[in-house]
Amino acid sequence: MRLGRQHFGDDEALMMAIVNRTPDSFFDKGATWAEDAAFARVAEVVAQGAEIVDIGGIKAAPGVEISPAEEKARVVDFVARVRASYPGLVISVDTWRAEVGDAVCAAGADVLNDAWGGADPELVDVAAAHDVAIICTHTGGVTPRTRPYRIEYDDVVAAAVTDTVAYAERALAAGVARESIVIDPAHDFGKNTFHSLEVTRRIGEMVATGWPVLVSLSNKDFVGETLGLEVGERLVGTLAATSVCALAGARIYRVHQVVETRQTVDMVWSIAGRRPPLRAIRGIQ
Amino acid sequence: MSGPVALVPGVPALLPSYASLEDPVADLRAACLDAVGRLGARVRVRASGPSGLRVAAALVAASGGAVVDDDETGVLVVGNGSATRTEKAPGHLDERAAGFDAALRRTFTGIDTALAAELWADTACLGELPPLGEAEVLYDDAPFGVQYWVAVWRTA
Repeated sequence: MRLGRQHFGDDEALMMAIVNRTPDSFFDKGATWAEDAAFARVAEVVAQGAEIVDIGGIKAAPGVEISPAEEKARVVDFVARVRASYPGLVISVDTWRAEVGDAVCAAGADVLNDAWGGADPELVDVAAAHDVAIICTHTGGVTPRTRPYRIEYDDVVAAAVTDTVAYAERALAAGVARESIVIDPAHDFGKNTFHSLEVTRRIGEMVATGWPVLVSLSNKDFVGETLGLEVGERLVGTLAATSVCALAGARIYRVHQVVETRQTVDMVWSIAGRRPPLRAIRGIQ
Repeated sequence: MSGPVALVPGVPALLPSYASLEDPVADLRAACLDAVGRLGARVRVRASGPSGLRVAAALVAASGGAVVDDDETGVLVVGNGSATRTEKAPGHLDERAAGFDAALRRTFTGIDTALAAELWADTACLGELPPLGEAEVLYDDAPFGVQYWVAVWRTA
């Protein structure tokens, strides 16, 4: 797998740390809205071992309309600053707009994380032109920044597989490198809690497509509704879902809590036989 | 015996199947490979059981040699002192362990096999070895409460 300038082995699990340049995202509620606070967040997650930062300028939920110009103002110069300070860090930008994608790639981004499932058809062309990676998500065809409402699927996992693979093949046809295409079922995007639980339970079917799988589970509403917990109380539930996806072989984890997720994925990776223990001597000395 | 003889402990952590990301026995492994590398391409192994045989076979293979039953170029003996040197040792602390190991350090003849069993020592194959004082000792430590020696004798 190649994310921009960085190559990763097939046995590696990667932490993608969320960095919001927004005043209103659900988890941090604007904690990193100020550029220096966002930059401090980058330093923190790099120190915690995150391979990837995912920088976003627009919260996913409905809210004040953010123009492309405003979105670029929030993320482009920030990407350039992070690139200058962390040459080896993979920089992903969470955007569905080709215009924004083009500007952030010129500023040094390695990945376009299209959380809205190809809503802007030209995004793949931008990824190809800059030789960056693209995340192909499943949203069931909803409009960006809308909540799911009475959406039904004959088979939500089959829909996620079909749509993300079709998106991946469209990206490939547009010229994105095969090793730079990732698929993501997009928990809670175009999905109710039952859908997200089923996608988690059957995430192995997405892994079986052969495309590397990204999962974005962190503190989401499907965790909150399942356990009856508010935002801020969902870490344990998030890590339980993370374990299930890790056992099936999901490769990238988009997270708020890097340290806890890394421990969880390392543990499951070792249970799965993909990672040796760090240092085992008990009983074999 | 003719040709060089080496002693290594039968530590399963030396096996490839028990590899960790960080090697907990890196120094011991280096000493073992150094010793086994001096035995030539055909190595006869003497060990007290299947676990020790596996460790020996892995070390010989890692050194590019082969385990043989005859026409050997060197002999690899597997064994170690007590496993009761500290409270965290596999057999817990036994106050007699340090003295037992000190005696082995002087000579391998006349080992008290009953005491060896009580101290979880792997000494069944050590009795025929010359004293450590006549060997080049590459390792002599008890990092996990188990007494290890790695040594090479150049016999005539």
